[in-house]
Amino acid sequence: MAMLSSTLPARARAPAYGGAIIGLALVAMPVLLLGWLILYPILAAIVETMFPVGADGARGFSLASYRFFFSDDYSLANLRVTLWTTCVCGLLLVLVGLPIALYLRFSRGRFASYVQALAIFPMFVPSIILSYALIRTIGPNGTVDLVLNALGLPKLPTPYLTPWGPVIGLVWDNLPLTVLMLTAGLGQISNASVEAARDVGAGPLRVLVSIILPRMGNSLLVTLSFAVLGIFSAFTLPYVLGPASPEMMGPFMERTFSDNNDPLNALTQAVISFGFCLVFGLFYVRSIARNRESRR
Amino acid sequence: MARLTIRNICKSFGSGFAVNDVSLDVENGELVCLLGPSGSGKSTLLRMIGGFERPSAGEILIDGRDITHLPPERRPTGMVFQSHALWTHWTVFDNIAFGLKLRRLPRADIREKVEQALAMVGLADYGQRMTTQLSGGQQQRVALARSLVLEPKILLLDEPFASLDQHLRERLRDEVKDIQSRLGITTLFVTHGQDEALALADRIVVMRDGVMEQVAPPDVIYRAPQTEFVAGFIGSMNFLRADVEDGVARHDDLTLPLPIADGPVILGIRPEAMSLTPSERPRAGKVHRLIDFGTHKLIDIDLTDGTRIKCMAGPDARAPRGLRVELGVSAFHAFRDGRQVYQTTSDLEATERSMSHA
Repeated sequence: MAMLSSTLPARARAPAYGGAIIGLALVAMPVLLLGWLILYPILAAIVETMFPVGADGARGFSLASYRFFFSDDYSLANLRVTLWTTCVCGLLLVLVGLPIALYLRFSRGRFASYVQALAIFPMFVPSIILSYALIRTIGPNGTVDLVLNALGLPKLPTPYLTPWGPVIGLVWDNLPLTVLMLTAGLGQISNASVEAARDVGAGPLRVLVSIILPRMGNSLLVTLSFAVLGIFSAFTLPYVLGPASPEMMGPFMERTFSDNNDPLNALTQAVISFGFCLVFGLFYVRSIARNRESRR
Repeated sequence: MARLTIRNICKSFGSGFAVNDVSLDVENGELVCLLGPSGSGKSTLLRMIGGFERPSAGEILIDGRDITHLPPERRPTGMVFQSHALWTHWTVFDNIAFGLKLRRLPRADIREKVEQALAMVGLADYGQRMTTQLSGGQQQRVALARSLVLEPKILLLDEPFASLDQHLRERLRDEVKDIQSRLGITTLFVTHGQDEALALADRIVVMRDGVMEQVAPPDVIYRAPQTEFVAGFIGSMNFLRADVEDGVARHDDLTLPLPIADGPVILGIRPEAMSLTPSERPRAGKVHRLIDFGTHKLIDIDLTDGTRIKCMAGPDARAPRGLRVELGVSAFHAFRDGRQVYQTTSDLEATERSMSHA
C-alpha cells in the first residue's frame, strides 16, 4: 500500500472549472452552427416578410404578403393539398409501418432479416431515382399497365401527376425511417409483458390494443412528427410525380422564387410552412422532454 | 386442483435439444420444483407448459385433456415471470383486473375478486397505485395476485424471486408456500437455488442438459442422490477419488469398507458426515481455514493429493490453521460413471424413515 501511495498520489481536487470550460467548448460549435444555419435564417425570413422593403426603398411593418397568401385561392389550394398529402402519408406510414415493425419485433429467424432488409432498402435509394422508377412502374405505359395488358385486363387510371403520385412516392421514401423508429419503440416493450397478457387470456389483437399501443404513444408521436416534418417540406417527389396544379408547398416555393422571381412571397410561403412544421416539432420536443423526465 | 401430465416432451433448437424426452406427473395440489443450472432446460419446460414454446415432440395434459397445441390464452395455467412483467401504464388494480375483464365478469365481481387477491398477497391498500411506485417485492406480489385471481388449474412460477434480495426472497418464499398450501393449487416452480427448492418443494426435479437426473422429495434428493451430478448440485458434497480392492475403498487419507466390484470409484461425503481428530502423521490432512457461520463452523482441509474438502463442526470447534487431522466418516456415497453404486445404510435408513412418514 505504501508503494502504491508513493507512485500514485491521490488526486488533490476535481477539475471543476476546467471541466465546465471543456464541456462548454464541446457544445459551442454545434450551438453556433445551429444559430447560424437554422435560427438566423428563420428569424431573418420572419423579419423580411413582416418588414418588407417598400417602393421607396425603406423597410416598414406590413403583413401584405401573408394577407395575399391567405386570400389567394391558388396558394390556399396548395396549402390544402400539402396538408392532405401529409395527413394521408402519415396515416399510411403508420398503417404500413406498424405491422412490419410488429413482425420484426416479435419474429425470429432468417425470413425476418430479409423483411427488415427489404423495409430498410428505400433508405438507400435517392428520391430522384425513386421518382423515375415509380414513373416507369405506375406511370402511363409503365410495368403495371404492361402486365395488365398482357393479362388482357383493362388499363387502370395512373396515379402519376395526381395527388396520389407524391403520396405513393413519399410513403415509399419514408417507410424505412418509420419502421426503424417504430421497431425501436416496440423494443421497449418486453416479451414478458406480452406473454403475461397472453397468459391471462388476451388474444393477439387484444394484446396489441391493450398492451402494445398504449405503451407506444411516445414513439408513435415521434415517428409521426419526423414523417410529417419530412413530408411537409418534400420537394423532389411532389415535383416529379405530383400534379402541376394544385402543387405541394415545396415545388410551389421553388416556382415562386425561380420562375416568378418573387422572393418575398416565396419567403412568406416558407415561413407559413415553417409554422405548420413547428407545431409537429414542438410535439417531438415535448415527447423527448417527457421521456427524459420519466427516466430520471 | 388439477393433475399435470407431461409425456416424452422434447424441444430442439437447431441441432441441440433444450429438453429431451422428459416425462413427469404432477399430482393435485402438489408443488414441484424444477431445479438445475443455467441451460438445463427447466425454463423451456415451464414455458412449454405455459404455451410460450411449442414442443418438438411429446404431449402435455391437464386433467387428461391434451393442451399441447393450445395457445397460452386458452390454457388453464397461470404464469409468474421472473421480471414481474407488470403493465406499467395501468394501476395495480387494473393489472389484476385485466384477465377478469377479458372473461367479461360483472364489474362488482371483478372488484371483489381483485380486492380478495390483493388482500391475499398483503397489498390490500395498494390498488390505486401505479406499478412503478412499488418495490420489487411488492411488484412480484402483484404478479402473483394477477395469476391467482384467475384461479388457474396449474400455477407456473419462473424464478419469481431471482431479482429480489435474500431476506425478501425468503419471506416471499414462505408466503408463496402458505398461499399454495391454502389454495391447494398444483404448482411448478423453476429455480436454480437449491435452498429455495429444498424449502418449498413436495418433489424436486433435478435437470441437466435437457434431461431429468432425478425426481424425488427434497430429503431423498439430499440423502439419496442417484447421480454424482445431483449429489454435487444439491447441498455441499466432498468428492474423493479412491480405488476399491477386496471390498475396501482406499484413499491416502481414508479407508472405507465398500462392498462393490474392484476398480476406481468416486466417494461422495457430506461435510456434516465428516469428523476430525488431531493427528501426528506427517502426511495427514492439514487445516487450511475455519469459517464461523454462528450455528456451525466449516473447516477446509487440504489433503495430500491436493484435494480440498469441507468438514462441518459444532459452533465451539477449534482448529488452528496448519493442524494435522485424521478424517472420520459416518456416511458416504460411491459413484461410478456418474451413477450411484453404493450408499451407507445410515443415510438410506434416514431416507426410508422420512419416506414412510410422508
